[in-house]
Amino acid sequence: MVHATWMILPPAFTFKLEAHRIVSISLGKIYSARGQRGGLKLHKNLLVSLVLRSARQVYLSEPGCPPEPPPAPAGHPEEEPPPRTAAWAAEEPPPPPQDEAGRDCQGPRPRRCCCGENRGGCAGAPPPPHCPRKRSAGERGQAGSPVKKPRREEEEPPPLPPPPSPPCEQEDMETGNVASLISIFGSSFSGLLSKEPKGRRRPPLDGGEAAAGTAPAEAAAEPGQICCDEPVLRTLNPWSTAIVAF
Amino acid sequence: MGEDTDARKINHSFLRDHNYVTEADIISTVEFNHTGELLATGDKGGRVVIFQREPESKNEPYNQGEYNVYSTFQSHEPEFDYLKSLEIEEKINKIKWLPQQNAAHSLLSTNDKTIKLWKITERDKRPEGYNLKDEEGKLKDLSTVTSLQVPVLKPMDLMVEVTPRRIFANGHTYHVNSISVNSDCETYMSADDLRINLWHLAITDRSFNIVDIKPANMEDLTEVITASEFHPHHCNLFVYSSSKGSLRLCDMRASALCDKHSKLYEEPEDPSNRSFFSEIISSVSDVKFSHSGRYMLTRDYLTVKVWDLNMETKPVETYQVHDYLRSKLCSLYENDCIFDKFECAWNGSDSVIMTGAYNNFFRMFDRNTKRDVTLEASRESSKPRAILKPRRVCVGGKRRKDDISVDSLDFTKKILHTAWHPTENIIAIAATNNLYIFQDKVNSEMH
Repeated sequence: MVHATWMILPPAFTFKLEAHRIVSISLGKIYSARGQRGGLKLHKNLLVSLVLRSARQVYLSEPGCPPEPPPAPAGHPEEEPPPRTAAWAAEEPPPPPQDEAGRDCQGPRPRRCCCGENRGGCAGAPPPPHCPRKRSAGERGQAGSPVKKPRREEEEPPPLPPPPSPPCEQEDMETGNVASLISIFGSSFSGLLSKEPKGRRRPPLDGGEAAAGTAPAEAAAEPGQICCDEPVLRTLNPWSTAIVAF
Repeated sequence: MGEDTDARKINHSFLRDHNYVTEADIISTVEFNHTGELLATGDKGGRVVIFQREPESKNEPYNQGEYNVYSTFQSHEPEFDYLKSLEIEEKINKIKWLPQQNAAHSLLSTNDKTIKLWKITERDKRPEGYNLKDEEGKLKDLSTVTSLQVPVLKPMDLMVEVTPRRIFANGHTYHVNSISVNSDCETYMSADDLRINLWHLAITDRSFNIVDIKPANMEDLTEVITASEFHPHHCNLFVYSSSKGSLRLCDMRASALCDKHSKLYEEPEDPSNRSFFSEIISSVSDVKFSHSGRYMLTRDYLTVKVWDLNMETKPVETYQVHDYLRSKLCSLYENDCIFDKFECAWNGSDSVIMTGAYNNFFRMFDRNTKRDVTLEASRESSKPRAILKPRRVCVGGKRRKDDISVDSLDFTKKILHTAWHPTENIIAIAATNNLYIFQDKVNSEMH
């Protein structure tokens, strides 16, 4: 519900908070949709992703918000379980060569370097708003091939409202473990939006058992490279890879 | 409209005095057959219950036209797709009756993946006097058989038998949202989020894909198919609606794959109403051709619209179902109500349209007089033969007695599925796990 206290803040800020809230709610829906009976509902998740995109665009387009400090590789993670942090650290090295699918995704590195700077300071051409992702023939041929939500590509993180939590925390959000989402939701929403998502994050597989075995590989990949893990992908629900990290 | 009504409530769950609702009992679809004699409901537990209208009799004038249970059967069971590690729900998404061609009735029922053709037959006689078997079916001792007899048919208590005649499986990767029988009575179509297939009723091992909107790259997906229906008279025409609020009329004569529409019906969005949720509320949840075939009725989250097949630029009529929710969209998004898919219905003469809303309210709009009414389907307000009282939702300003304020609406009580008798003023309203059937006794004939 809209809180009365928002009324006393400057209009631009309240609008941004509303967008922030909607983003949080949307991510929660995407997360919880994974466990529901009958599989992910394509229609609903598409609508949620559209709302997510609109809210995010609003959030990012608002001027005058403080830039995010550069994310530190090692985490911190009061809210994250240690394995994730370690996995995050492993992500830092250059994009893994799992990119065998001929994906023409731009590597996350160029965008990552822009973190913490505003748009103007980003070196290199801004990436396309949509990173076209080709799937390998194997993926494509699969019935019920994973539905991927449009990714939001950006060079820099959304400006954030004063974050009570340490800045690096959001990087952990990009890892494949969705349990982190829960802990973030549980703690504070500000941690959610202060990080710039670089691509999709891969949620754990059903039951999480498969994730345990392949977690390092998945987590080690940048979200942009998630779908390289084909054998695992084939067993996923259509929407199970469709969480867009912010 | 609804002045003098006869209410009959049929409770599936047998938990009359409790608020607890077994999820399996939640009604998920309601459909009259072509004569209105039979009414089928499907529920989340995969069951189908068919009601039959009692013939009117002079002996019991008050019972005339009542619907009683005729048959109940389990149509779909939960399944597990091992390849994708997901459970396939047994919930019946849609039921469509086939036009009756002999003594038997047939209907199609579908869950998310599999469509089944069921044949419903009556047996009211049975043969008696077998030579080799006794009354219980046990073989007779041949030494006791001294003469031959011809078995005769003797009357028995009516037994309704339902058998699955066809199972149309493996046609859909995504969730089936609608089925529609062609006016040729030989084919039907089934639509999922991205594809529409054409089936022959007698052939189960293959179907033709006639619409495919799946993009080569799923990341480019921007809209899905939400509902589809064949034209009532032209066997080559069908319409499908999308999550973007558009309708596409397709002609199967034009090409085998109807990805290119013949007509595209779209209304430009009103920029003053733009919000984060504009896309969600413009998604069409149901589309129905009028009986005449001249118009289409669509339902999106806040409105019902009547479209003339000859005009693609905008609907000819728009009715606000519950515009007072427009300012509450964020909350409705949060509690998922914004994703509720309401259906809509025409009356037999296409003069009145009906759709459901929240708080167990349903709305009717008279296209000629432009009057509308809000009625409630609830136990408290629906004693048998009670007259339904029009309800009102007050949105601030002057509040009358018995008005409900927007904030006290119960959003868990939603009427998603409604059906109108093909020729008479009888409506079936599904309110969660309860089925309400209302009749307009004064104006029984269509006008």
